[in-house]
Amino acid sequence: MPSIHINGANKSYGSKMANAVTDLDLEIGDGEFMCLLGPSGCGKTTTLRMIAGLENLSGGEIRVGDRLVDSIQEGVFVPPENREMGLVFQSYALWPHMTIERNTDFGLRLRKIPKAEREQRVNDIMKALDIAKYRDRYPSQLSGGQQQRVALARMLAVNPTVLLLDEPLSNLDARLRLEMRAELKRIHAEFKTTIVFVTHDQWEAMTLATTIAVMNGGTLQQIGSPNDIYNRPANRFVAEFVGTPPMNIIEGGSKSDDLFQQASSFVATRLRVQSEIGSIGIRPETIQLAQSIDQIPPDSFHNRVTVTGVLPTGGSWIVEAKTASATLFPTMQSAPNLRPGDGAYLWISPDAFHVFDRAGNRLTDADEVFRRPTN
Amino acid sequence: MAIIAEVDRKSPTRRKRTRHITRWQVLRYHGKIALREPTTFIGVLAAIVFTYLIVVPVISIALDSVKVQLGHERRLSANAGDITLAYIDRVFFSPISQDLFWAPLVNTLTVAFGAISISVLIGGLVAWLLTRTDMPGRRWFATALIVPYMLPAWTFALAWTTLFKNRTVGGGLGWLEALGWAPPDWIAYGRVPIIIILALHYTPFVILLFGSAMKRFDSQLEDCARILGASRFQIGLRIILPLMRPALLSAIVLIFAKCLGEFGVPYVLGLPVHFDVLSTSLFRSIASRQSGAAGVLASAIMIIGVLTLLMDTWLVREARRFVTVGSKGSMNRRSRLGKWRAIATGFAGLLFLVSVGAPILTLFLSTVMKIPALFTLDNFTFDFWIGRDLETVGFPNGVLLSPDLWRAAYNTLTIVGLAAATSGIMGLLVGYIVVRSPMRLLALFLRQVTFFPYLVPGIAFAAAYLSLFAVSRGPVPALYGTVAILVLALIADQMPYASRAGISAMTQLGKDPEEAAQVAGAGWLRRMLFIVVPIQKGSLVTGILLPFISGIKGLSLFVILAVPSTDVLTTFSLRLIDYHYTQAANAVVLIIAAIAYFGTIAAQRLTKTNLAEGLGN
Repeated sequence: MPSIHINGANKSYGSKMANAVTDLDLEIGDGEFMCLLGPSGCGKTTTLRMIAGLENLSGGEIRVGDRLVDSIQEGVFVPPENREMGLVFQSYALWPHMTIERNTDFGLRLRKIPKAEREQRVNDIMKALDIAKYRDRYPSQLSGGQQQRVALARMLAVNPTVLLLDEPLSNLDARLRLEMRAELKRIHAEFKTTIVFVTHDQWEAMTLATTIAVMNGGTLQQIGSPNDIYNRPANRFVAEFVGTPPMNIIEGGSKSDDLFQQASSFVATRLRVQSEIGSIGIRPETIQLAQSIDQIPPDSFHNRVTVTGVLPTGGSWIVEAKTASATLFPTMQSAPNLRPGDGAYLWISPDAFHVFDRAGNRLTDADEVFRRPTN
Repeated sequence: MAIIAEVDRKSPTRRKRTRHITRWQVLRYHGKIALREPTTFIGVLAAIVFTYLIVVPVISIALDSVKVQLGHERRLSANAGDITLAYIDRVFFSPISQDLFWAPLVNTLTVAFGAISISVLIGGLVAWLLTRTDMPGRRWFATALIVPYMLPAWTFALAWTTLFKNRTVGGGLGWLEALGWAPPDWIAYGRVPIIIILALHYTPFVILLFGSAMKRFDSQLEDCARILGASRFQIGLRIILPLMRPALLSAIVLIFAKCLGEFGVPYVLGLPVHFDVLSTSLFRSIASRQSGAAGVLASAIMIIGVLTLLMDTWLVREARRFVTVGSKGSMNRRSRLGKWRAIATGFAGLLFLVSVGAPILTLFLSTVMKIPALFTLDNFTFDFWIGRDLETVGFPNGVLLSPDLWRAAYNTLTIVGLAAATSGIMGLLVGYIVVRSPMRLLALFLRQVTFFPYLVPGIAFAAAYLSLFAVSRGPVPALYGTVAILVLALIADQMPYASRAGISAMTQLGKDPEEAAQVAGAGWLRRMLFIVVPIQKGSLVTGILLPFISGIKGLSLFVILAVPSTDVLTTFSLRLIDYHYTQAANAVVLIIAAIAYFGTIAAQRLTKTNLAEGLGN
């Protein structure tokens, strides 16, 4: 199983349009489950299609293992049909005029695999994905989840070196999506295939990936383990895109902002941040509420707030809490004993602060203090 | 720390690394990609073929109009091929310009606008009755009233002559004259009947256009006006009519374009009283070998056609401003007709009778009666269909037993069939190239060039073919009188529909199924054979069937390009008309009408579409 190396890849459609992908460097290791995560239009699908060979490059190069598959400089372009990859489309793209079995063994037939071996392989795959009983049906007679499995089976049948998945779960309902996620994880463990998975759903990326690459506006924002991405976002975009409800941001505006002034001076002294601070982020679940000041650990940052709303979400509660100058939305795992209009204290432990500079990039000084574990 | 270093490396402030790529490298890369698949090669080939089949004939006839033609060297005292303005002068300014161009132009305009006014009035009313009222039998009428559109227009012209013919032309008696009343010329021939017949033929077109516009019309717009105190009349005038304007203008322009190229009806009904329109004037010029004047006339018709359709595109763009945003309220509430229900039904029934029932019945009866309009049992006979040894000069057998009919039928089937199959396949191929080719310019050119014949009335296009292929040019032999010229002209004539169908089919299919096959390891040919063609089977069949039907009905191409040995059903029936074998001619026309009608029905079944889709619901 090869690794994939993307070096300085660019993609533009026509000179007037903005680049779909700009100067992208990406290394996808052998056997990795890599998620390309980002909002729609961020270039993640384009990146996937460039790996597959369905989009040409406008600059840069792509290698699969030692093999150069795409390069303008070298004048190399290996067409998709010769890249030995598998791609599952968002629409599944099953061939409507073929039965499930024919859909599945199409690639094997192309490779002129002997009949006995072909049948054996198709049977195994169909059994593994639990679609053997539909083999004589046509795609239109299957449900979305079943079609999804066929699309996977079709690509797995040819033993692809790399399996590419383009938002394959977005057309499924919530329950099926959960099942398919488990299925994908199992497939990854069983077939030991390198998987590149495109999604805009951060939950999906968090639960599936060994490595996440966050993209925005055609550029790579951060690459790292799910834990890294969540706990050490490299910039404001990653910090705000990953996590629901989103991270609370205290902006350093030009006007004198009490909360920002207090928080930044706390951060500066307590966390020894020396650079100029642009904004401060706190994940909602790391903001605690207390009814009296003696319940607050001495080491932490705290501020007086007025509760203006409590929004139950079923398993947790989102509280709308106003300081003199800002509004924060902490989440509580148990029902807060508060009503709109109540006064309270919020407190934040020092290691929960994410500090960004004026340009929105993470100030890593604070990370040194706590040496958060990384994996 | 490694992670921190990495985070740093990704920060936006990092030095942008740019490796210079030369233009030559880009060109080599894209050239390689373009040449990797046959799409580009086939695309270029198709572009060359269509340039030759579509653009070159048009240029050729335009040049005819300013070049001294063979045989005119003496009169124009110049060498053949020299540039001259003599033909333009002849057509537009000479003493005979009145007969050649101006009178036919006026006739074309009056006929077109007469037909437009009547069909818009009747069609608009019927569309409203079908979509917005509780008239009984709406669903049946919605299908039945579309029928005239499926039949060739000159079917009705023949029915008209059968009924109203007088002694101005020879042959059998008209029914009315046989019953004792000789219709005057102005009823029997010329402007009035042509207007009526074209109006009836294009009424379904208006019904379809207006009907779909009215169906989409949101009742809440009316309700709002009513709440604000507008009367029904005011609502009609201030709300509905302005919103219908795009559909109205579109109908006017498209019917005008169709009238411009209409040949059969004015030929059958205009000729006896020398009532010429532009298309028949062009036909006369060609028939009398005035190729220079024909060039000028054909160019003039083409220019009017192009201008008209440019106007339509402009109007459609203008109309976008009027797009009413569909909402959940786009329900369409029906007006109650009350005591008018019976009258409305009567009106619709009468329209069906006049536009479908009476003409078809007349034509049919005329083929089974010995003496016109004599309704006694012994006057009925099937001799004209299946009789032998009839007492006519040139046509001794019934139509179905005549070898001429079967030869014409065979010719029709082979010529039209070959052309339809070719244009259907080419259409899908053009669709594929337009949608898939990495070369945008090639795609754009193919899309435009295959659409171009749509702008050119068939008769002018046929004249262009005649101009290009009448003599041998370079390696291409003279094609006039061969099957090849008919097939080529038909292919070119049908390409707009075929390529539109192909493009929309390929667009609808999307890239995914093909790309899935590509990733699975299938090369171009395998993808075409196993994925694209099987999936597009249905649209390919329609893409062949629809040109086939319209080719069978078509007259203007054949009437100029066919010779007796390449007679098809339409020209065969026209020849029979010229010889005044009314019964035989009508029988052939009925056969054509039947093929056209059942073919259309079959095509609708096949594609699970319906022209009258939901109009009566």
